[in-house]
Amino acid sequence: MTRSRLTAPRAWREAGAEAVEDRLFRALAVLRVVVLANAVALNLYRRDNFDHPTAGVLVVLGMAAWTGIAIWAFSSSARRVPLLLVLDLVIALAALASSPLVKGAGFSASVSGFWVIGALFAWAIHWRWIGGLVAATLVSATDLLIRESVTQANYANVFLIMIGGPIVGYMCGSLQRMAAERDHAERAAATAAERARLARAVHDGVLQVLSLVQRRGAEIGGEAAELGRLAGEQERDLRSLIHQQDSLAAPSRDEATDLASALERTATRRPPQASMSGPGAPVLMPAAAVEELVAVVRACLDNVARHVGPTAPAWVLLEDLGAEVVVTVRDEGPGIPDGRLDAAVTEGRLGVSESICGRIADLGGSAALHTGPSGTEWEVRVPR
Amino acid sequence: MEQPAPTRVMVVDDHPMWRDAVERDLAAAGFDVVAVAANGSEALARFPAARPQVVVLDLQIPAPNGVEVTSAVVAQDPSARVLILSASGEQADVLEAVKAGATGYLVKSASREELLEAVRRVALGDTVFTPGLAGLVLGEYRRLLDAPAPSAGTPELTERETEVLRLVAKGLSYKQIAERLVVSHRTVQNHVQNTLRKLQMHNRVELTRYAIEQGLDEE
Repeated sequence: MTRSRLTAPRAWREAGAEAVEDRLFRALAVLRVVVLANAVALNLYRRDNFDHPTAGVLVVLGMAAWTGIAIWAFSSSARRVPLLLVLDLVIALAALASSPLVKGAGFSASVSGFWVIGALFAWAIHWRWIGGLVAATLVSATDLLIRESVTQANYANVFLIMIGGPIVGYMCGSLQRMAAERDHAERAAATAAERARLARAVHDGVLQVLSLVQRRGAEIGGEAAELGRLAGEQERDLRSLIHQQDSLAAPSRDEATDLASALERTATRRPPQASMSGPGAPVLMPAAAVEELVAVVRACLDNVARHVGPTAPAWVLLEDLGAEVVVTVRDEGPGIPDGRLDAAVTEGRLGVSESICGRIADLGGSAALHTGPSGTEWEVRVPR
Repeated sequence: MEQPAPTRVMVVDDHPMWRDAVERDLAAAGFDVVAVAANGSEALARFPAARPQVVVLDLQIPAPNGVEVTSAVVAQDPSARVLILSASGEQADVLEAVKAGATGYLVKSASREELLEAVRRVALGDTVFTPGLAGLVLGEYRRLLDAPAPSAGTPELTERETEVLRLVAKGLSYKQIAERLVVSHRTVQNHVQNTLRKLQMHNRVELTRYAIEQGLDEE
């Protein structure tokens, strides 16, 4: 498996980011209405402070009108051009700057109030943290320049805006990047699934041909039989590979690995060609236990190859009983003569006893050997 | 003495070379190949007229797939036998086909003799198991048992059936199993058949229950 970095082609990075931006602007539309209502209410409450009430009413009406236009204009990504954003901010700054004109030079609360954050957040959403920073700076500078003196409250507001603009911009950027990454991951998953489906179709075709060559080769005999044997080997390899791939797709947790596919690999890779039967679902166990069981099965199969023959048939059965797993390895060889294993131990050769019984005892399980003239069977039980 | 009529067989496989090879082998061995089909819909269209006793069916065929063809065939003619011939080995869809009513399963790499023997035995009503399929069936029974809420009708294996299936999964032939358990070949065969029959019955019950729950029975 090669790991590729999350570098989405530009087209769908923008698609994912655009969906996020649409959502953010819908949320901003609500915010714009809220801050407008707030500004209208506050101006009504402090209507006595206006030097020029008519001009004040016009400014507030202008703010309301622009709020409506802005909500409509920002609702479509096609209309969110730089000119619109610049216009939005200029109007917000103008509303702010009108305060000393309509309320007198010594005003304390501006006419626009928090209404200016509509334009500020539009910049933050569209141009990320840089947009947020630039807009916040312009709003703050305007707010400070139009005042005769700066109070503690003015400073607090400016500070909040300078912090809030870039932070909101940064978060918007992060959201957009996450959306693009999610799109990429979804697409990668879909591609992988499609690739697996195609592979299955291709593999099926190849398996069909290999099976046919194997079958016909054996019937024709001679050199064709050798070709058939080779085809048979490839067929088993490929089939085992496909099984393993299927179990790769299964979820695994806690570093648990699939014993079924590990045994399948062991059973089909080396002589003797063992047939593997399993429950048809991943059998998840700690990786260390899987490693030991695979080593045990390998030792059993090596024994078959050495004592019965490299082409002798062998069978591996894996059963998942919930609380324990049972692995059986069987051959139809002449069996192990009585006392030979014990003799091997006394001769100082650990061989089968150590590699099978020792490993299983370490896992807290038990190994049983049934041997006779009709074959040998190792049955290994290991708790989960 | 009069010769018994040859067994009527239908071959369903989307690979022409395989279809031809199987057809040729069956015909040469005295079977009557009454129909061939390259996909599921052809198979179902030709099945009623050809009335084969045995359908030799590849699982990976163009829709409807082998599992669906198996259910449809067995529903139309319960005496028909389905022998699955699969290239991809023992996978979940083999188990699905068996639950749907197939009574035999063979990998495509099996020899010609094995194929002919399998068709003969399936035609007689026997079940043809590979060690791999036995392992899958064992696993399926255990999964049914472990299901969060096993209902009253959940099939279970008797101790003897489990023993027989385990021996099949370990690669013993029915003859070897009969010798080891000191029972007749027929008894072994019956045990194996029972394990399948219970799964198939359960599958039908589940499908019916599902249909009732979904209100499909009212249509």
